[in-house]
Amino acid sequence: MGTKPTYSPVLSGNSMSVTGNAYPNGNPDIPYNLPGVRNTDSAVPLHRTTPVTHVYSCEGPAPGKFVMRWTYGSNIAAKNRDPRVQVVQYNEDTFVLRQNVCVHWEAPFTYLLFGNKGALLIDAGATAEALYYPLRETVDAIITRWSQARGRQKVPLTVALTSGEDVAQNQGLVQFAGRADTVIVPKPLEVMKRFYGLGGSWPSGRGRIDLGDRVIEVIPTPGTHKDGVSFYDPYCDFLFTGDLIFPGKINIGNDRDFVASLERIKAFIADHPVKSILGGHIEMMFVPGRYYPRFATYKPYERLLEMDPALVDQILDYARAVQGKDTMLIRPDFVLLNGVSPDQRTSDWPSDVPNIIPPRPF
Amino acid sequence: MDRRTFLTSPAFAAAVTLSNAALAGVANAAAASVRPGPIDFKANLPAPGGFPDKWICGSPSAMDNTDPPVHVHWYNAHTAILRQNKAYSYEAPFAPLYFGNDRVLLLDEGFVQLRNDWDLRGVVDGCIDDWCRRNNRDPASLELLVAFSHLHADHYAATNQFADRPNTRYMGLTQEEMLGFWGMTNFPEQRVSLDLGGREILIWGSPGHVISEFAHYDTYTQILFTGDMFYRGRCYISFWQPWFDSMKRLIEFCDTHPVTHVMGCHVEISKDGQDYAYGVTYQPDEAPVQMTVQQLRDAFEQAKTITKPGIYFTGTVFLCNQTRGTTTIDKYPYRYD
Repeated sequence: MGTKPTYSPVLSGNSMSVTGNAYPNGNPDIPYNLPGVRNTDSAVPLHRTTPVTHVYSCEGPAPGKFVMRWTYGSNIAAKNRDPRVQVVQYNEDTFVLRQNVCVHWEAPFTYLLFGNKGALLIDAGATAEALYYPLRETVDAIITRWSQARGRQKVPLTVALTSGEDVAQNQGLVQFAGRADTVIVPKPLEVMKRFYGLGGSWPSGRGRIDLGDRVIEVIPTPGTHKDGVSFYDPYCDFLFTGDLIFPGKINIGNDRDFVASLERIKAFIADHPVKSILGGHIEMMFVPGRYYPRFATYKPYERLLEMDPALVDQILDYARAVQGKDTMLIRPDFVLLNGVSPDQRTSDWPSDVPNIIPPRPF
Repeated sequence: MDRRTFLTSPAFAAAVTLSNAALAGVANAAAASVRPGPIDFKANLPAPGGFPDKWICGSPSAMDNTDPPVHVHWYNAHTAILRQNKAYSYEAPFAPLYFGNDRVLLLDEGFVQLRNDWDLRGVVDGCIDDWCRRNNRDPASLELLVAFSHLHADHYAATNQFADRPNTRYMGLTQEEMLGFWGMTNFPEQRVSLDLGGREILIWGSPGHVISEFAHYDTYTQILFTGDMFYRGRCYISFWQPWFDSMKRLIEFCDTHPVTHVMGCHVEISKDGQDYAYGVTYQPDEAPVQMTVQQLRDAFEQAKTITKPGIYFTGTVFLCNQTRGTTTIDKYPYRYD
């Protein structure tokens, strides 16, 4: 019996392989019938009589994939004709919405998660004006289609923010005012703590948002904002961290809290499966250590949104290194800014990061 | 005239040559009947003119911006000032367009390169056509000089749009070519005079923000155009001593010449002195672009006291002494204890 040749993506001759997709045509060594199939409801009965109850308990992360490229603005912002809200379906119960870079440079990500008893919208975008950024309209449309597919009359919606004070994430909240069957997590820190049942245990405790067989954990993570929280989805194994952890310039609001929150996240990852950390923005380029400046409306070379959970160790190490110092620190996947201007620059390039000048679009 | 001869001969000398050529053209009866007498740019100075109450200044959502790519404002009948739209480039520079009897001078070409992205050349041609219609002239008889205040891309990006425009000369992108274009041999002290055909522009060196920068003074409107070394916003001073010496030259010039307005290339400050951070695409309450000589003098007085790198507010502008690569005026708003 001969040994099987090792599959080499680069030598395979398949153009998709070079982009890092090791098995562009599927891996024949993996079984055809994977257990994750029961977490999908694509084949719902045509004439159903009862609402579909979805299976959210699964071993490992629920199947799902980001295959789309994020919209990234345009050289001439005034001529941009991309969707104002880009909707990417990660899987049947998990949606990612991105604000158009040419509507607001922060281009925040907003997450919409569904459970058997309701939906959760994490964050609300950087623009209040529905004409420019129709978040509510888009969310309503997704919920309508989803509820039709699942045979539900009502899908109660909870709107929660990774930080109530962050104007890059709270502006769209006003669009949801007065919406039926909607709970908006209150913004003032003290009221928010009580809402999550953390009045006495902030920041060490944990809250819960039950979407029906999909219980989202709420982890207090002040540090970039004093009212910062992160959310953990045990179905997709995602950690939604807002601008506490994201591939960009992390502006530290209080370095003691920042380190403490990262320690909590690290401990959380140690006893929960986490597939990816999804932050609220992308500012890094795909070139290590390079980032887009503030207010940029054209970001064609953005890094991926997903961050490996192992990066938390690195961020924590460097957060400790900058603690107590007013400084800026560049790493391949993030930049830490402590006590300095949000547009701080530095001539100190870390010696262990390849110094590659990205192409300049014009 | 070949390129080398042109580079070594002052532009105003070239203008004389051209006027001779134009005079030869006047011998043609048809041309002579069309062309009216020259406009007098030397009487009743300064020529009156005005700035708009509000320039186009971006919009809350850039993709919903409906302003034209360039705001064209006629300061007076023979002077236009262009401003790039903030939703086309956050730099949104201002660019004067000075008309003379023989030539038109465009100073600065914005921060977008391609004509299909913004048709600066079309806008400039439109202005020239308007002016020619009003003054009963043939646009083909006017030479266009495409120059820029200093060697930064937000001031020359669109220069190539003029590469195939007839009767046009444009400045090269090196210190040598820039000096050669104006016929300077002793930068920055040497003050040369550019004759647009009865309208003189005085030009001298003004290094400090960058090495390769000029100051321009229009004898007709008496506007002193100070480029990026002094403008209503953050004057990024890369080299302190050359900048200070350039300021001294500007003050000495104001001591000996009448100046109606001091005008820079950008506005980055609100009417009440708030900084608009670097890169913003919406400045709803921005300060006027024009400044007074007194404001320039006040800044110079304050500059005399500056000995260290840092950001200093003069009441009119921020003097950012060697801070460009380090810090900014604004702070992270969510700091807490």
